[in-house]
Amino acid sequence: MMRFLGVAIMVAICLAFAGGLALTVWQIAGTPAPVNLPHLLAENLDASGVDHPITAVLLNFRSYDTLLEIGVLVIAGIAGISMAKTTSLEDPDLRTSDSLLYALQRWFVPLMLVLAGYLLWAGSDRPGGAFQAGAVLAASGVMMRLGGIPMDFLRPGMLLRFGLALGFSVFLLVAVASALAGSAFLAYPEAFAKPLILIIEVVLTFSIAMVLLALFVSAPVNRTEEPEEGEAG
Amino acid sequence: MTLGLMAGLLFTPLAWAVLTLLVDFRKGRVVTWLGMAVQMLVSLGLWAVVASDGGFLYLLGGWQAPLGIELRVDGLAVTFVLLTAVVAAACGWHASIYLDPDKAWHRYFWPLFWFLWAGLNAVWLGGDLFNLYVGLELISLAAVGLVALGGQADALRAAIRYLMAALLGSLAYLLGVALIYGQFGTLSLAGVTALLNSAEVPAGLSFALVLMLLGLALKTALFPMHGWLPPAHGIAKSPVSALLSALVVKASFYIAARLWLDLGGHLGSYALAQLIGALGGIAVIWGSWLAFRQVKLKQVVAYSSVAQIGYLFLLFPLTWGVSDAISLQAQQGITLQVISHALAKAAMFLSAGNLIMSVGSNRVDALAGVSRFLPFSLFSFGLAGVSLMGLPPTGGFAAKWLLLQASLASGQWWWLGVLLAGGLLSAAYVFRVYQASFIDDTDIDHFFHPSRSLEVIPMILALLSLGLGLMAEPVLSVMSLPFEAGRGQ
Repeated sequence: MMRFLGVAIMVAICLAFAGGLALTVWQIAGTPAPVNLPHLLAENLDASGVDHPITAVLLNFRSYDTLLEIGVLVIAGIAGISMAKTTSLEDPDLRTSDSLLYALQRWFVPLMLVLAGYLLWAGSDRPGGAFQAGAVLAASGVMMRLGGIPMDFLRPGMLLRFGLALGFSVFLLVAVASALAGSAFLAYPEAFAKPLILIIEVVLTFSIAMVLLALFVSAPVNRTEEPEEGEAG
Repeated sequence: MTLGLMAGLLFTPLAWAVLTLLVDFRKGRVVTWLGMAVQMLVSLGLWAVVASDGGFLYLLGGWQAPLGIELRVDGLAVTFVLLTAVVAAACGWHASIYLDPDKAWHRYFWPLFWFLWAGLNAVWLGGDLFNLYVGLELISLAAVGLVALGGQADALRAAIRYLMAALLGSLAYLLGVALIYGQFGTLSLAGVTALLNSAEVPAGLSFALVLMLLGLALKTALFPMHGWLPPAHGIAKSPVSALLSALVVKASFYIAARLWLDLGGHLGSYALAQLIGALGGIAVIWGSWLAFRQVKLKQVVAYSSVAQIGYLFLLFPLTWGVSDAISLQAQQGITLQVISHALAKAAMFLSAGNLIMSVGSNRVDALAGVSRFLPFSLFSFGLAGVSLMGLPPTGGFAAKWLLLQASLASGQWWWLGVLLAGGLLSAAYVFRVYQASFIDDTDIDHFFHPSRSLEVIPMILALLSLGLGLMAEPVLSVMSLPFEAGRGQ
C-alpha cells in the first residue's frame, strides 16, 4: 500500500511538472520575445573577428562564460586525477590486445587527427570549434590507449597538470592582458581579435582533449584512502 | 584604478588556481599565502571604492548587455566579496597548517580552493542569469572535489550524493533560465526586470521562477531537501566544511534572493512566499533538534547549518507585498544573518577540527576533559555558538532583531515563534557540547596540542561575528548604497 502511494505521488509530481512545463512553453511560443538577440548579434558580428555567430558568442561576446566553463572542465580533471589509484595512469592490465582494433587504429587515428584539425578550423565560419575538435582528439586518445600505444604524458605528473591548465592559462592571460592594456577584462583589441581567438581555440582544443582523456584513464579510484577526521586510520 | 581592481579581483583566484596546480602542497601553501594577501587587498580596495563612490556596472569584453555579460558591482556584492575574502583566507590559512603535506592528494586542495573562491566572486557580482549558472557550476564542482579529496568510501558516497543534488538543482535552475530567455530574449537580470516592470506580465512565467527557486533551494539545502548536506559537510576536512557551510550554500541562496527581489513582485505570490517561509521555519526547528541529537561533533555543526539556513528563507514572506521600509529591514536582517552565520559557522567548524585533532575522536562524548587542555578552541566554539543563538551583542542578535521587527511590522507574527524557538534550540545543542567537554572524571590525560595558529584563526572569526552586532550600522550603510547604472567604464 505504502509503495503504491509512493509511486502514485511520484507519478503525480512528474505529471504536474510536465504539464506546467508544456503550458509555459506553449504560452512562450505564442508571444514574440521583446529583445531580438540574434538580430543584435548579426549587427555586431563584423566586430567580433569571426564569421560564425556561435563562435563569436562563445569566444567574444560571452567569452567570460566560456573562460569559466573551461575552469569547470579543469576542476573536473583535477577531481578525477586526485582520485587516481595508480602512479601511472597507463595501467598495462587495462590494455586490450585485439588485432582487429590494432589494424583499425592504424587507419583511424591519423584520420581522426585530421578531422580534429578540420573541426577546429571550421569553427570560424561554420559549426565546429574547440569543443568539438577537443572531443574528437580525446576520442582518438581513448582509442590509442585501448590499443596499447604508450602515452607517458598521462602520468599524474607535471606534464599532465600542465596540459590540463594550458588552454585555461592562455585564455586567462589574454583576458588579463586586455585589462592591463586599459580596457575591460577580456576585451580584445579589434585588430587582433581573429588571431587571438584562433590561438585560444587551438590551446583550448588541446586542453579539452587532455581533460576528457585524463577523466577516462583515471577512472580507477584511490585505494590508499584517508580516514575521516577522528577515526583510527 | 577601479578597472585595475576589477581585473585583479577576477584574475587573481583563477591565476592562483593554475599556479598551485603546477606545484606540490608545500610550495602551493606559500604561493597561496601570497595570493590571499593580494585578493584581500583587492577586495578591500574595491569595497572602499564602492563605499565612497557607489556601485557601477562592469562590461566584460567591453560588450553591453544583452549581447555581452555585465557584472553588477553594488554595495551588497562588494560586502559579500569582502566577506568571502575574510572567511576564505581564514580557512585557507587554517588548511595550510591543518592538512598533512605528505599526503600526495592534498596538493589538489589548493587549485580547487582557488576555483571555489573564483566561483563565489563570480556569483556575488553576476548580473546575467546564465553567467550565474556557470558560477554555480564552478562552485559546486570545486566543492564536490574538495569533499571527495582522498577520502574513503564514505567520503566518496557523500560527495557523489552532493554532486547529484547539486546537478539536479543546477538543471532545474537552467530550465527556468531557458524559459525566461524564451520569453524575453535576454539573459540580463536587469533587462528582464525592466521588461517586467514596463509591460504586462505574461501568464505562465511563474512556473519558470518556481523552477529556478526550487533548484536553488535544493542547492541551499532547504528543508525537506537538506539530506545531502550533513554527510557532505560532516565528512569533509574541517577547513573544507567551514568553506562549504560558511560560503558555498550562501551562493545559491544569494541568487534565489536576487531573483525573488527582482522578479518575485511580478511572478511570485503570497502563497509561494508563505510556503518558502514555512519550509524555512520547519528547517530551523527540525535542523536544531537533529543537531541536538547527533553523536558526532561535526554532524552537530552540520545540522546546525541546516537550521541556520532556514532563517534565510524568511526573506521570502517578509519582502512580498509589504512596504519598502519593511522590505529593506528584512533584507538587512537577512544580510546580517548571512554574514554572521558565515563568520560563526566557519569559526565553529575550524575549532571543531581543532578539538577533534586534540582528542583523536570525532564523537561529542569523547570531548570529556578537553576544557582544561584546549580552552582556547572551546572558547571560540562557544563564542560562535553565542552568535548562532542570537544573544546580544552578536551579529546573530542584530539580524534576528531586524527580522523580528520586520515580522511584527508586516503583521506576520507567526515567524516570531520560529525566531524564539530556534534561538533556544541552538542554545541546547551548543551547551550539550560544552557539557560533554566539562566532564572531568575520565582517565584520559594525554591530548594532542594543535599549533597556536590553528587556535587563533577560529578565534578571530568568532570575535568578528561577535563584533558584527556593534558594527552593523556601517556594514548595512554600504550594503544599501544607491546603485548608479550610468557610472563605471
